[in-house]
Amino acid sequence: MTVPLSSCWTAVVNGEEKHLQIAQTTRLVDVLRTNLNLTGTKVSCEVGRCGACMVLMDGEPVNSCLVMAYQCVGSEITTIEGLHGEKEDELHPIQQAFLEEGGFQCGYCTPGMVISTKALLDRYPQPSQEQIETGLCGNLCRCTGYGGILRAVRTAGETCLNSSLLTTVVKKVNDQ
Amino acid sequence: MLLNRDNSGNRWHLRPDGVGKVTGQLQYLTDMTLPDMIHGRVLRSSYPYARILSIDITGAEAMEGIFAVLTFKDVPGLNRFGIATPDQPVFCEDVVRYVGDAIAAVAADSPERAALAMESIKVEYEEWTPLDSTEAALAPGAPELHEHGPGNVLHRTEIKRGSVDEGFAACEYIVSETYYTPRQMHAYMETEGGLFVPDESGRLHVYAATQHGYKDRMQLSRIIGCPEEDIRVVSSPIGGSFGGKDELNVQPYGALLALRCGRPVKMHNSRKESVRAGLKRHPMKIEMQTGISREGMIQAHRVRITADTGAYATLGAPVLNFCTEHCLGPYSIPHVDVEGISVYTNNGVSGEFRGFGGNQAIFAMEGQMDRLAEMMNMDPWEFRRRNMREKTDPGPLNQRILVTDGLSQVWEAMDRSELWQKRKHQNSPEVLALPPWIKRGVGAAIAMHGAGLGYGIPDPAGGRLSLNAEGKIEVAFSYEEFGQGLIATLEMMLCDLFQCSTSDLSIIIGDTDRVPHSGSSTASRSTTMAWMALQRLQTPFRSKILSAASALSGIPADELITGIGGVWWQGQIAPEVTANDTKINSRFVVSYVDLAKHGETEDWIFDTQFEYPTTPDNVVGGHYLYTYAAVAAEVEVNTLTGEAKLLDTRHVVAAGPVINPMGFIGQIEGGSVMALGFTLTEDAVMQDSHYITSNLDTYLIPTIRDIHTNLEIEAIEDLPEGDSFGPRGIGEIGSVALAPAITAAIHQATGVWVNRLPVPRDQLIKPLDVPLQKGVSSS
Ligand code: FES
Ligand code: FES
Repeated sequence: MTVPLSSCWTAVVNGEEKHLQIAQTTRLVDVLRTNLNLTGTKVSCEVGRCGACMVLMDGEPVNSCLVMAYQCVGSEITTIEGLHGEKEDELHPIQQAFLEEGGFQCGYCTPGMVISTKALLDRYPQPSQEQIETGLCGNLCRCTGYGGILRAVRTAGETCLNSSLLTTVVKKVNDQ
Repeated sequence: MLLNRDNSGNRWHLRPDGVGKVTGQLQYLTDMTLPDMIHGRVLRSSYPYARILSIDITGAEAMEGIFAVLTFKDVPGLNRFGIATPDQPVFCEDVVRYVGDAIAAVAADSPERAALAMESIKVEYEEWTPLDSTEAALAPGAPELHEHGPGNVLHRTEIKRGSVDEGFAACEYIVSETYYTPRQMHAYMETEGGLFVPDESGRLHVYAATQHGYKDRMQLSRIIGCPEEDIRVVSSPIGGSFGGKDELNVQPYGALLALRCGRPVKMHNSRKESVRAGLKRHPMKIEMQTGISREGMIQAHRVRITADTGAYATLGAPVLNFCTEHCLGPYSIPHVDVEGISVYTNNGVSGEFRGFGGNQAIFAMEGQMDRLAEMMNMDPWEFRRRNMREKTDPGPLNQRILVTDGLSQVWEAMDRSELWQKRKHQNSPEVLALPPWIKRGVGAAIAMHGAGLGYGIPDPAGGRLSLNAEGKIEVAFSYEEFGQGLIATLEMMLCDLFQCSTSDLSIIIGDTDRVPHSGSSTASRSTTMAWMALQRLQTPFRSKILSAASALSGIPADELITGIGGVWWQGQIAPEVTANDTKINSRFVVSYVDLAKHGETEDWIFDTQFEYPTTPDNVVGGHYLYTYAAVAAEVEVNTLTGEAKLLDTRHVVAAGPVINPMGFIGQIEGGSVMALGFTLTEDAVMQDSHYITSNLDTYLIPTIRDIHTNLEIEAIEDLPEGDSFGPRGIGEIGSVALAPAITAAIHQATGVWVNRLPVPRDQLIKPLDVPLQKGVSSS
């Protein structure tokens, strides 16, 4: 049996252009974890419920277990590995906040949580409780009881406010 | 102390495994790959109960890209596993007993190809009617699922003292109620899996999650038929377990496939397969009859526990023991008649799960307490106080237990709390202003929870402390990091003991090649065991270091101390020098690195072995150390939809000194929200012994929307003077007493006594009995 391969799948992943020979029906989560060895993106439910596989696709949070390779040709994908602070070897303020507030335990949901938080704060730099709940209700965590996560999101909101790391979508929203 | 970041000061310690987790750089065992690895899959039974007539693997074997197809014929050693009772087949030979039973395993060059090959394995069955409930399994004439009978009984327990009949005869009030608890799913986010790597020397390296690497190694050696030393088990980090990964899961298949193929094999269960094959919390039916005197003193308590243990034993017997012990609560009761039975069925396998049977028992017992208090028209907290055991009373099994004030302390702390006081003010303007279909109530519950495995069950502990060749203070334990923050706690204990910094440390866990056998990471035991081990090891280790430093420097050993980077001199402080002048006060003598260079590495290694403390009395399963907790909950019920929402919670926990506040908070918050799911939404529903809720879209664990953002934690840190057991584990205590607090609050809000979890919404829906307001048409 031979799997039909696409001649070229192209996308920008964490700022780098990637060209792969893959079946176009491969799930994005497998492209990331298997083909690109970016295992920071986790897989848990595979039905779009848990958010462990969350990545940004052109700035929007998506469950990478539900996105097929062909749907992201040419788009810009950001995974947890693509997040960093002002300098490349620094933690992003969101990651720093998760670290300091105890926003994780086993850590398996954490990359997805951090990505969803990034999407949330990009849109609402000072989110209300309601906005946080809406923004993160697609991410399940079994360990923390969400208390630490909530505190991390609030802290991150404060530290990110004056940072250049959260601007793209805010501009977009304001422009509208 | 109210526990939060602000109150923790400099004990707020960032986790050493944190950066890897928040950046996604940390490799979990299911993230590991090797260039020449192949992929394993397991074919599971189509039916919950059937005879296997034939298995035909020839089609699958002939397919391209298939490296091996294994069945029971390919198990060289024992075709069974199970921590306590090895009765679960690696591969079924003749009969299947649940839908998770394995028939065959395949290794292929891609996961897709492995899946295709599985489809072409032909299994013929003679389908039988499953025993889909404990009633069906216990019915006369029911087929026996296991040979060792009699009937389908895995285990029975009992506690009898006094005469309940006489006790009840003297009672003024008696409450009889039957409680039902759900089949809860662990729902760890990382499903089971790992990498299985044979090396040239013939050893097998197993990288797969477990809570007890040595136990896995022992079981795998039995299955493979090889010496234990031929296997190395690496078992951390783990993406959650909660008891669910304590039994072997993918390990037998990965190991057998890897050895057969001579290549690394990767296994990673899908969520659906994880649900189908994995352990669950025992669903239980608990019938309770409790009687009290006119003064409100409990006289008699009759309990019948029926637990559905599913197709195989795993820890069904110890879980039932624990439930039996805990269904008396922390109360003195003269006449007791408890019987428990754990029953084999064709349902999913029930096993170990955070709380270990305590959750079910405490839900029932505390439910009785609230019902009795109401019958007497007495405040439920006062009613509990009257019946609470004295601190010197024996434990629930009449066994001697360690005397502490924990119980009365949590009772009093909760009594003082604002949240619990709210129960007396349900007519506040705030509550009265709510729409008439919204009702609020406050409830509370109290618990004593045993730690460790209990009397009569081997519960070894130990550890190793050394100065390694790199000059690091190294500790090694056979515990695992599955998220609870063990590594951070160990780091803090060591820094406290040796006044050193985290960069002086090397912490090794979860690798049978590198750690001594120091028992499992279960039963809230790791923190206590690690602390006790370090207490035993610190003196010989320190004196070795200090005498070596003394020999090198010529300074007497008793003037030296361990500190950051190495050994320091603490000489006499001259009167004119202030104590803060560190240059004079303590001078650096020699670094750990230099010390290690000067000694023989073996000389620096210190080991200890001991047993988890148990009661001296001969009662199997009886505990010696208990943790105490009280929980209050405020709940809002929408009587139009039947939805109950938790508004506010307070946990008071008496577990000794808080070593690691971030970890402590995380464990209580996490346990509490897990208990919230147990109470309101979680149930792995089975129909005809097939799972209906097979993924996280139908099996509903709490989300960030469902939690109680006001959760407060009060830690009571006192221990009896001279206590030699140190901080108690808190991995379970946060999850055991929330359910009865919530159902008590629901009762206050609506008048409904809930006896079944998750709380059935339809019981809370009430027709609106207020006149309709103007502008609303009633036609
Ligand atoms: S794995 Fe994609 S949402 Fe759960
Ligand atoms: S930290 Fe374990 S699932 Fe969130």
